[in-house]
Amino acid sequence: MKILVAVKRVIDYNVKVRVKSDQSDVDLSNVKMAMNPFCEIAVEEAVRLKEKGGVDEIIVVSVGEAKSEEQIRSAMALGADRGILVTTDGPASSLTVAKTLKAIVEKEQPGLVIMGKQAIDTDNNQTGQMLSALTGMAQGVFASEITIDGDKLTVIREIDGGLQTLSLKMPAVVTADLRLNEPRYAKLPDIMKAKRKPLDKLTLADLGVEARQTVKAVKVAAPADRKAGIKVADVAALVDKLKNEAKVL
Amino acid sequence: MLGLGRQELMSALCHIFDQDKVRDDQTTLQSHGCDTTKAYTAAPQAVVFPTTTEQVQALVLLANAHQLSLVPSGGRTGLSGGAVASNNEIVVSFDYMNAIGDVNTIDQTVTVQPGAITQLVQQAAEHAGLYYPVDFASSGSSHIGGNIATNAGGIKVIRYGMTRDWVLGLKVVTGTGAILNLNKGLIKNNTGYDFRHLFIGSEGTLGFIVEATLGLTQPPNNLTAVVLGISSMDGIMNVLQTFQNSITLTAFEFFSESGLSLVTQHGLNRPFEAKAPFYVLLEYEQTADADALVMAAFEQCMENAWVVDGVISQNETQLQTLWALRENLSETCAAYTPYKNDISVKVSDVPTFLAEIDAVIAVGYPDFAIVWWGHIGDGNLHLNILKPEHLTKTDFFDACKRVNKDVFDIVERFGGSVSAEHGVGLLKKEYLHHTRSAADIALMHGVKAVFDPQGIMNPGKMLP
Ligand SMILES: Cc1cc2nc3c(=O)[nH]c(=O)nc-3n(C[C@H](O)[C@H](O)[C@H](O)COP(=O)(O)OP(=O)(O)OC[C@H]3O[C@@H](n4cnc5c(N)ncnc54)[C@H](O)[C@@H]3O)c2cc1C
Repeated sequence: MKILVAVKRVIDYNVKVRVKSDQSDVDLSNVKMAMNPFCEIAVEEAVRLKEKGGVDEIIVVSVGEAKSEEQIRSAMALGADRGILVTTDGPASSLTVAKTLKAIVEKEQPGLVIMGKQAIDTDNNQTGQMLSALTGMAQGVFASEITIDGDKLTVIREIDGGLQTLSLKMPAVVTADLRLNEPRYAKLPDIMKAKRKPLDKLTLADLGVEARQTVKAVKVAAPADRKAGIKVADVAALVDKLKNEAKVL
Repeated sequence: MLGLGRQELMSALCHIFDQDKVRDDQTTLQSHGCDTTKAYTAAPQAVVFPTTTEQVQALVLLANAHQLSLVPSGGRTGLSGGAVASNNEIVVSFDYMNAIGDVNTIDQTVTVQPGAITQLVQQAAEHAGLYYPVDFASSGSSHIGGNIATNAGGIKVIRYGMTRDWVLGLKVVTGTGAILNLNKGLIKNNTGYDFRHLFIGSEGTLGFIVEATLGLTQPPNNLTAVVLGISSMDGIMNVLQTFQNSITLTAFEFFSESGLSLVTQHGLNRPFEAKAPFYVLLEYEQTADADALVMAAFEQCMENAWVVDGVISQNETQLQTLWALRENLSETCAAYTPYKNDISVKVSDVPTFLAEIDAVIAVGYPDFAIVWWGHIGDGNLHLNILKPEHLTKTDFFDACKRVNKDVFDIVERFGGSVSAEHGVGLLKKEYLHHTRSAADIALMHGVKAVFDPQGIMNPGKMLP
């Protein structure tokens, strides 16, 4: 069985985001970029499944700017076997990415697609679901545990206030939640090996996908500065402020 | 008018300081009477919290008039007992003199009061797009005043040097009550003896630091950490040399397998499965070019079998979790009542030096578990011995006194230092002669007599 993993290049989770002065977007110049944390978890899960046996190949795909090759190489250092980079002009919408993945799924016929539940830059949380709808594959989103048993896949998912266990018939799409696993570090020898692993470079046109922007970002604004805190003399003063100024009591 | 009765003293202090800034309740006496070394008993008679330089000066004059002993106190993270008051002294805490001025982006400086917390100064610099590079695990609590008084080092010394290298100006109140403005923030100033450098590392024995102008620099970009498993101590120096020949390192730290197994028992993951006697954490500014050089250096280390395996951080989160392997060591070890030592030799001497100490302890104290870590790129080793369960604290520390003797003999033979970065304080005073000659020490007493002729400043510390 093949597993297809999708990864996205995003601003590093720990970088303090700055908004461009014209408020058109987040400022990405000279900012550290990294693999989306949920995608890292997806890669790790694929590698663990392969280590358990029954998985022949892990294919990692990224849709986006040419530099996304770095994230594909990272995934290959963690254990993916080959990569597919689909370059786009400018950012691709969730639907464009889902259509691209569909084209790759048709070509590669994976038994399982694992992706992050959402990308931390756009926070859309929809590409996995769209891919499932477009391909008719079963979906298990927000997975915190998955087990393969023949052509069945058990997915435990985190839902409000509890856990839900699903049984899916493969092929299926799974999106990874935070607690699915803790990704390993990339080993230096594996980074060297990853440089020699095969990587196909394609464009949307090669896959017959048309990039349609149906949504336009109008404005990006930084959150309002928080006012500095104050110290109050005693509990009575605190209660008074909470009642009369903050009006929370 | 020598000596002061208790009431006279308290009223004299209240005359200088605001009433709520003079304290003699047990909680404050205990908390402010000692530092992180737990071997001494806190017994000051009062703790005062100045808010102005003039108050500090008035206190020094009072102390000279009545032979009072003053102990400067910073963040109390010191590891040598420098800020300990166990002899009825008056502790002078800078908790309330902690202002951080505006960052001057042209001079690339910031002027701060001594009680400014190191980490807040780092953040103020970062906010202005600059960087204050002195950093260590206790920077969330330590004060700039304490850092200067101990000439603190830390994890970035290999690239940026010690605190000394970042002090451009100092305002001090000497032991006679003179207020001196030293070097005034200048980069170039060849006008005779530079007293600033006497106050840096003086551990509160010459006077009080009441203001400092610190140099700042461009922040490093895309810091990336590599953790390597090292097959033998000799290998470490080859690894250091190989990487230093290829790239500029911002850190080169090491720890032993015993250290890694401690921190991994407390919640951190091992970087890789392969076990090695030692591990190195090195850090550099990531660029495509630097990555290629790091890879080439790593390949060379693998080919020579100096390294068994290695991982690299792929994002900031991993940078922090890899650093935690090194930075959590001190706190994790603290639970085991460790004997700690902070020593240094020339970088090239480290492997032989470390092997000799290992051997001496293995022979003399076979049940002692050694945990090594340190800033090995600077030749600075932290030797830690965990208390074996069957020994009482007293028996253990008695045995460690004998270990000290053995260790410092070896340090002396290597021309090393009995205190690389934690200072002398009370802990290393009797061992100072292993590093400083008798003539040296006599001159140190001479310097002390110039700035503090009556010996009111931190008496009993540093000088044997
Ligand atoms: C977990 C941990 C990790 C550490 N890592 C490192 C490290 O990597 N490198 C390193 O160098 N140190 C390290 N230290 C030691 C310690 O943090 C440093 O020595 C630090 O500089 C002490 O600063 P402080 O403000 O806590 O000083 P204190 O402990 O309060 O005082 C230290 C000395 O400075 C004097 N002093 C304080 N303020 C003034 C002042 N305003 N004027 C004159 N004298 C003054 C005191 O009298 C005393 O002699 C570590 C400590 C801990 C607990």
